[in-house]
Amino acid sequence: MKLPEFEYEAPATVAEAVGLLAEHQDEASVLAGGQSLVPLLALRLARPAVLVDINGLDELSGVSEADGRVTIGALTREYQAEESAAIARAVPLLAAALPLIGHEAIRSRGTIGGSLAHGDPAAELPAVAVALDAEFVVRSQSGERVIPAAEWFEGYLSTARRPDELLVEVRFPAAPAGTGAAFEEVARRHGDFAMVGLAASLTLADGAISDARLAFSGVADAPVRAAEAEELLVGQEPSAELFAEAARLATAGLDPPADLHGSSQYRKQVAATLVRRGLSAAAGNSHERH
Amino acid sequence: MTTQIPAPRYTGTSVKRSEDPRILTGAGRYVDDIKLPGMLHAAFVRSPLAHGRLLAVDTAAARELPGVVAVFTGAELDAMTVPGPDPLMAFVGLGAMMPAYGLLAADKVRFVGDPVALVIADSRARAEDGCELVEVDYADLPPVASAAAALDPGSTPVFDDLGGNVIVAPRRSELGDVAGAFAAADLVLDCHLDVHRHQNVPMEGRAIVVSPDPGTGILTVYAATQSVQITRAGIAQRLALDPAKVRVLAGDIGGSFGLKSGATREEQAVAAAAYSLGRPVKWTEDRSEHLTASGQAREESFDVRAAASKDGDLLGLDVSMVIDTGAYQVAGLIVPPTIQMMLPGPYKLPALGFESTAVTTNKASYISYRGPWASETFVRERVLDLLAKELGLDPLEFRLRNVAPRTSPPYTMLTGRPLIGVTTRESLERLAALVDLPAFRARQAAERARGRYLGVGVATFIEAAPGPRMPGGMPGPLATETTRLRLAEDGTLTLFTGQMPHGQGHQTTLAQIAADEFGVPFEQVRVVVGDSDVVPAALTGGSRAATMAGGVTLHGARQLKVKVLDFAARLMEASASDLEITDGSVMVRGDPDSAVPVAEVAAAAATAAAADADADLEVTATFDGGESGWSGGSHCAIVEVDVETGIVKVERYLAVEDCGELINPAIVEGQIRGGVAQGIGAVLLERSAYDQDGNFQSATFMDYLLPTACEIPRIEIEHLQTVLLDADVNFRGVGEGGLIVSPPTVVNAIEDALAPFGVRIYEQHLPPARVLELIAAGGASGPALA
Amino acid sequence: MADITLTVNGATRTGSAEVRKTLADFLRDDLDLTGTHVGCEHGVCGACTVILDGRPVRSCLMLAVQAAGHEVTTVEGLAPEGTLGPLQQALQDSHGFQCGFCTPGFLMQATALLDTHPEAGEQEVREALSGNICRCSGYQSIIDGVLLAAERANGSRAKG
Repeated sequence: MKLPEFEYEAPATVAEAVGLLAEHQDEASVLAGGQSLVPLLALRLARPAVLVDINGLDELSGVSEADGRVTIGALTREYQAEESAAIARAVPLLAAALPLIGHEAIRSRGTIGGSLAHGDPAAELPAVAVALDAEFVVRSQSGERVIPAAEWFEGYLSTARRPDELLVEVRFPAAPAGTGAAFEEVARRHGDFAMVGLAASLTLADGAISDARLAFSGVADAPVRAAEAEELLVGQEPSAELFAEAARLATAGLDPPADLHGSSQYRKQVAATLVRRGLSAAAGNSHERH
Repeated sequence: MTTQIPAPRYTGTSVKRSEDPRILTGAGRYVDDIKLPGMLHAAFVRSPLAHGRLLAVDTAAARELPGVVAVFTGAELDAMTVPGPDPLMAFVGLGAMMPAYGLLAADKVRFVGDPVALVIADSRARAEDGCELVEVDYADLPPVASAAAALDPGSTPVFDDLGGNVIVAPRRSELGDVAGAFAAADLVLDCHLDVHRHQNVPMEGRAIVVSPDPGTGILTVYAATQSVQITRAGIAQRLALDPAKVRVLAGDIGGSFGLKSGATREEQAVAAAAYSLGRPVKWTEDRSEHLTASGQAREESFDVRAAASKDGDLLGLDVSMVIDTGAYQVAGLIVPPTIQMMLPGPYKLPALGFESTAVTTNKASYISYRGPWASETFVRERVLDLLAKELGLDPLEFRLRNVAPRTSPPYTMLTGRPLIGVTTRESLERLAALVDLPAFRARQAAERARGRYLGVGVATFIEAAPGPRMPGGMPGPLATETTRLRLAEDGTLTLFTGQMPHGQGHQTTLAQIAADEFGVPFEQVRVVVGDSDVVPAALTGGSRAATMAGGVTLHGARQLKVKVLDFAARLMEASASDLEITDGSVMVRGDPDSAVPVAEVAAAAATAAAADADADLEVTATFDGGESGWSGGSHCAIVEVDVETGIVKVERYLAVEDCGELINPAIVEGQIRGGVAQGIGAVLLERSAYDQDGNFQSATFMDYLLPTACEIPRIEIEHLQTVLLDADVNFRGVGEGGLIVSPPTVVNAIEDALAPFGVRIYEQHLPPARVLELIAAGGASGPALA
Repeated sequence: MADITLTVNGATRTGSAEVRKTLADFLRDDLDLTGTHVGCEHGVCGACTVILDGRPVRSCLMLAVQAAGHEVTTVEGLAPEGTLGPLQQALQDSHGFQCGFCTPGFLMQATALLDTHPEAGEQEVREALSGNICRCSGYQSIIDGVLLAAERANGSRAKG
């Protein structure tokens, strides 16, 4: 499983990087953490003519918070995001999801931007981004675009990023006071891609749900936002019956893929369980937030 | 002369392994670590089809790629080599049963991954590039992707000249009065049990470096193998070389569990290529090749009828099995007879009907995997639980009722072997005490009321490790074990064994025995393995090393000591019967001042040896197993099943085991734990999956799932006081038992956990989705009863 | 081809390799550090784990060129040649390993764990090691060895 040949470029600036992407377009792959791309290269399922290694672009690394938003540079390593006090405080759903990503060695190199630009529907971060209406900032030689999460994930391993664009940062809204979050998943083993996952966030005000976010991983070729279930929840007081109803609504329209690890029926059934458990956990976490 | 043996100092203690310093510092030497000047690298073009005719293989473009040195097709390799069977099977005398097959596919491809061409280049990466340039024309043939498909007389033959895909037709045999047993039964259970395909997966795959020396004509093979002699014989036969001109060296090996003979098709193809090119060639199998093509195991299905009395006596079993041996025959055909032999286990079983069918399919070869016959324990221990439940009896009590008593003369299994020294009853009773089943049942009930589903499962097994003497003896080379012991000039007790360790720590355990018997410190013993020029022929496998290699080491060390003391007697002007070797010195018994270090004696002997044959301090010893016996044990698992997700967690696992006298307890426990982990993996995670077109679906570690530290609990082990059978050698093998008995243990526990849902389980692989299906089917999944 | 200079086990090392070569293969082939093993080449088994700039990484998922200018520690760097460091000694004492193929990866992952979590308890050790596959041991002996190393280190910390 040796990698196929490719040309290798290691730009020193973002300008250089987007210049390379403009030149090579879809013949180029961007190498960030490599935790998803390198296995594809090893299996020779990916055959880019040019590999653009962006690990030298230090300016794309870092977490900052301002104006009710947390901005994460695309090259921020997953372990750095785990250690970020700003994320822990202001984006609890992301903080809940990060430790579930693979294993520590994966998170040493894997990046926030890389995972989101790769767009594996079974991964945790895409579901979190969709649940929170994150914004994706891409840059090209023509300038910058800001793409909302609802439009970012187009299909299996396919995003709205054009071949000449580089994802430079992702912006998450800071959670309001009274928000509790949970990421529930069912995986065959600790650290595996989940068969089904759920990003859940609830904001409580005076005992009632003022905001609800639910998005699934692993149930389609992109994350699925459970908008109807969210609407049901808003304005209600948390209860097991409410959460069970939300679970029914959230999963009624699902037609998950089948694979070696689970049938479509299995994933749908488990998705409902995750909604009940995820909402319960999120509600339980919300009292911690001020 | 009475032999006064001083109390063992090393045997029975967890002596630290002499292998560890190099393994822990990264100084181990595995085949892929080997670099030779001018060494080339190999990669294989493999069939993407499960079944097809090979119309054309065009290697021109590949040959032209800079860095590619040679490309060989199946036809070309056939012309360079001599046909023959799998060398492991040939070693145990079963070579003639196999249809011979070529090293690479030449006329047909018969499974996804079947090697079609061999590319040799200056790097593995370049060889893989070359593989992509080989153009192969296939004509699809209908795939035979399951046993059911193979049993259909209309299925396309996988081997044209066999006419059909049933390669061993069913022939029924009966022992005892089978019809009478079932007629007299109060309860007849009738069910179908499936054991799924899964595989060895050592962390190191297959690997070989073959280095020809055109000057001397010696072909040196650096192999990952369980027997350097088998590798040598296989390669020599295939290349039509004098075996004396083939030297096989094995260093550190990254696990095997039955996989590695060092002479599979690909390895022999690499040897042929290297020999032809006159240059060293390395092939290291990558993980994708390993999972797809190195071989798989355990795909067997069983129609079982079981007869019992209402009081709980097991009256008879009638088993009809089908084994899916894959395409190219390796080890599949030895399994059914062993299953038949072992089905009764340690129980009183008065009647056994048995029939087996072997089919060939478009899948990778069925190979040996740690206890290849283990399905007999799964079938038996599953059926015992099912019977117990129908009779309303506790599964443990039901087993105790049916365990054969330890009598003299011993109770003989219906299938021929006597149950000498079997401690099944003791192991079950001890297990019950350790688990405290009444307390568990109370906890189980309380947790069920809270919506949590815990279960307990028990299973027991015996293993011929190597088992009692058989009338007529064991097949050929396995009947005895030979070792050579030599006192080297510097006083090192050097032991040459054909055992080829691949994690079992033989270099430590055999040294412990030799040190004790001979009388030198452990550090003064050197165990030489892995050189076909100097070690005797042997096979590492069948859990035979403890008895056979341990025993021959014990007796050989004694024989060498006699020789050494005879020489020392002349040197020290004493009577040999007054001498002993203690702590590395020869001394007159009771007179420490007389002590002469063994090294001095050895040096003197080396000087004298040219003139004096008795001064050549070496013996070759052979051992036939003595009064060898069974290993066995009883295991218990406590599991929790999340009935909303189907995830099973093994909360607690216990093993009460009897492997005779322990040479090194830590090593024994490591073997048990490793085997149990593989069994938990088999039930919950591992499956070598093919779809209905024969496409292989488990070709990476993202699909073939191995258990990690989070899936395997602490495994509590208790060692039973064994029954001594032999005057000297009571070590028995333990390598395979953990994997033999753990799958039914876990499955029994899962069924117990799901009892409130009326679940009955007839299969060994229970991934989360399947668990939820079983719960949904609930009481509808019961067996047919009469 | 690329010239690659990096620090390995405290020493400056240089090699020349194709850009497509992984760090794992570069360490093994070009720097003759064969202690790091290759078990799957797709980042699951952990046998190739090394420490890069203080963090455990899967060297099969990095290109060698990416490691240029960085600091790598491999199993060969855990103790002076011919000796066992405290973690290695503890794993010998606990009979941690059998065939040894997974061992270097476990040692590096455990080293990284104990460097940052010296007080790690059993569950934490299990989770930290769950990205390393062992086929021989059933893991218990490895976990016990890591806990033993931690206990001994804490003992000397308490004394010293």
